[in-house]
Amino acid sequence: MAPELHVVDAEVFAKVQHAFAEALGLDDDEVEMDAKVIDDLGAESLDFLDIAFRLERTFDVKIPRGGVEAAARDGLVDGEPYELEGVLTARGLEALREAMPEVPPDEFHEGLKTAEVPTLFRVATFYRLVLHLMAEAEVRAAG
Amino acid sequence: MSELPRFAFLVHPLSGLHRRVIGVRRGYLPMALGADGLGAPAGLICRPVVPGVAEGQVVSVPLLPDQMIGDQVVALEAMKRAVEDLDVNAVGLGSLCAVVAGRGTGLVDALDGRGPPITTGASATAWAAAENTLAVLRARQARTVALIGIGGAVGGAVARRLVGADVRVLAVCKGRAQVKKAARLGAHGVTLEEALAGARVLVGASTNGGLVDPDALSEGTVVVDVALPATLSSGPRPAGVIVLAGEAVTLPDGWRRGFWGWLYHGLAGYGPWQLYACVVEPLVMAVTGRAAPFSLGRQVDLDDLEAFAAGAAELGIRPRLAHGWREIPVGRLGGMDAAPALPGPAT
Repeated sequence: MAPELHVVDAEVFAKVQHAFAEALGLDDDEVEMDAKVIDDLGAESLDFLDIAFRLERTFDVKIPRGGVEAAARDGLVDGEPYELEGVLTARGLEALREAMPEVPPDEFHEGLKTAEVPTLFRVATFYRLVLHLMAEAEVRAAG
Repeated sequence: MSELPRFAFLVHPLSGLHRRVIGVRRGYLPMALGADGLGAPAGLICRPVVPGVAEGQVVSVPLLPDQMIGDQVVALEAMKRAVEDLDVNAVGLGSLCAVVAGRGTGLVDALDGRGPPITTGASATAWAAAENTLAVLRARQARTVALIGIGGAVGGAVARRLVGADVRVLAVCKGRAQVKKAARLGAHGVTLEEALAGARVLVGASTNGGLVDPDALSEGTVVVDVALPATLSSGPRPAGVIVLAGEAVTLPDGWRRGFWGWLYHGLAGYGPWQLYACVVEPLVMAVTGRAAPFSLGRQVDLDDLEAFAAGAAELGIRPRLAHGWREIPVGRLGGMDAAPALPGPAT
């Protein structure tokens, strides 16, 4: 069962929706919070570039390459492998699950390949990433 | 200075070897020796000319594909530096230059009204792919195609043009949004298996490479491929399967390119006797005196595509049925199908 996704900032989400719609040639209302970016919205590999570029410009943030996976790797203790020969380890799966709470837990199954991780991405994944990056930027600006 | 219309085509090296060659061309030692190029200025590769009609230049930013997608802000800045001082009537974008930073829109915004008009090449690519597909269908007396990549600018435009030519388009769709889009364009949203079972002409226009296992194709299938990486994954192909370079077009009448132009034709993969359609989009734009791009951002407008087609015809540019560099005689493509509705794969 999918975790419940609450829109905590309607203005931010509307902008995220619009960025996806522009990048994928869709109407804004077709971009739902729990939509799978690849399987539901039909995004292709290069579309992620466009999505990232539009989000960066809209919110004045910098989306790091491999953003979500990088966060998952950061959650691992030194020496703990995230993946072995392209397949996520048990700890890698756990770290990724923590990094993407919007994805139903059963989708982090044993044998998941790193190349398959983008198929898990929801619109909510990017929405949460944007909120996180905006909060980081605010902290930097304040400090 | 010549009064002829001028155009430019902006590219990036596809490999470290390409970048070294560009370094040699420009006499820029660090690049020739393999420096990473991040701080290097853009440089001229070659000056193609259509005598009495237009003068062109192919210009390269120094970034490799990984660098282009690794930091789009850096890529955008490099592209802006490369084009803002070009004294040309139109600039076309090649390879990832046409993809990063919002498919040309970021570059237009960054130029903020300065510099020449920008066009991405998508109209030309869609036109060539659609026309090459129609040529295959005519040779086979068929009217059904399978299409992968309807979500993209090129795939969507190809679908619309084929539907407009009374072709039945079986569009491979993922998710509700794509099925809706296919219906809007007059295509039929289907699974990959259904598409391959229903047609022996496949148009590949996705940006995801290797989507189709060659084993899944029926004997004699023709793949009109504009996808990068290629639509078919590696492996042996069933008998008679032909893969055509979907965006191949003939050279403009009188096309002259010089030594570096010949080398560029080879390194870019066009070969000696053809170009990819995106290269000629800024040429047609410059020659027709058009200020508005034929394509920019996500959408390709069919009126723009038709305007490009008319301008290309004036210059003697025609779609070219080619496997790699080699032209394929139409006769080799026909004879496999006679009925509009095609049988599924042999079992």
